[in-house]
Amino acid sequence: MSEAVVPPRALWVPFPLGRPLGAVDDSEFQKNVMRTAFRLLETAVEPTIEDYEIQAPGEGFNENWSCPLNLTPESSGSLTERLLAEVALLRPWAIETRRQRGRTLFGASGAQEDQVDEMARAFASIAETSDVTSELVVDDVAWAFEMPLLLRHIADDLRTFYHEAVAAQPGDNAPDHDALNRWIFDETVLGEALLLVADGLTKASDSPMAQLVRGLLIPEGHYRGGSAFPQQTNFPINPET
Amino acid sequence: MVRLSDLHPVEAEHLAARALAMPATGPGEWVTPRPLDQATVAIVSTAGLHRRIDLPFTVGSLDYRIIPGDTQFDDLVLSHISANFDRSAFGQDPNIVFPIDRLREFASSGEIGGVARWHYSFMGAMPDPSQFEKAGEEIGRLMAEDGVDVAFLVPI
Repeated sequence: MSEAVVPPRALWVPFPLGRPLGAVDDSEFQKNVMRTAFRLLETAVEPTIEDYEIQAPGEGFNENWSCPLNLTPESSGSLTERLLAEVALLRPWAIETRRQRGRTLFGASGAQEDQVDEMARAFASIAETSDVTSELVVDDVAWAFEMPLLLRHIADDLRTFYHEAVAAQPGDNAPDHDALNRWIFDETVLGEALLLVADGLTKASDSPMAQLVRGLLIPEGHYRGGSAFPQQTNFPINPET
Repeated sequence: MVRLSDLHPVEAEHLAARALAMPATGPGEWVTPRPLDQATVAIVSTAGLHRRIDLPFTVGSLDYRIIPGDTQFDDLVLSHISANFDRSAFGQDPNIVFPIDRLREFASSGEIGGVARWHYSFMGAMPDPSQFEKAGEEIGRLMAEDGVDVAFLVPI
């Protein structure tokens, strides 16, 4: 893509999507990536794309990550009840990560930190009913998006809550994107709810936005119908949002 | 950004097709900035990054958000639409996406001249980057007014 854009000076880095400077909590590694990019200001005399060949330390460390909590879902109870029970089990650990970090990424959907139960209840209800297009009204929650796009941001906030919960637990490392999603989709009620919501989006075949949202909701490799992203996408453009 | 071979095959195929279909937009006018140890540097992110009080990005957003240089990390969230990039790293260390602390350290050590007062954020994932021309020119003018010499673009 950089070759099409022809930036004046670009450093290609071999790091996973979401980690452009390579390594978390490693200021020297991050600064060396930046220094290499900045050096192009002195050396390049025409549009240049240089490769950065140094691997990030710890890359691949999450291949064997597993959650220390036993979240085996109870077979009885509705999806809503089981999801709320799972959230309750994770809550103390999510609070602990927020305390340690002094911040949270939760809230892009518009919900507040203390509204995760309301969010989980609403999401499970949509999973059970497959109603992915009606306005979602939840008392005291000011959603930042309309349906069905709201669904992918609720999903992201729930994933953030789950990630922050497992990030605080004893062990060497918090799970990265791949490990987190393997855990969520293979072992949690949230994964079950996500796939049911994806089914509901698929059923809403008269809504192109619903089909697009499915691809924005489920990471590739986890949708049980093949590629989560629709094959034909007319990507909408919103100049002013 | 990332080897295609490290992605899920479907995502790799999708991005490869996007890259092939992407219309050429450059090169732009060649500019040589002042020496780095005298240069003011601003970050331009495409992570869908913004303050909690800002309007979130949505599908196809072509506009941008400003991020003041004194913004605290607990005030930043991501509303990028993709489900396929790792948000966990930003949660652990926001500098891996928005390296404002690293710029401050470079300014303190004299490696760069200074840190801009404002930084800028877009949502990426746009198949045709020429759609960003109007907003790009606008932040270019804003950065020039802010005395910025170097824009450090950090894709996600």
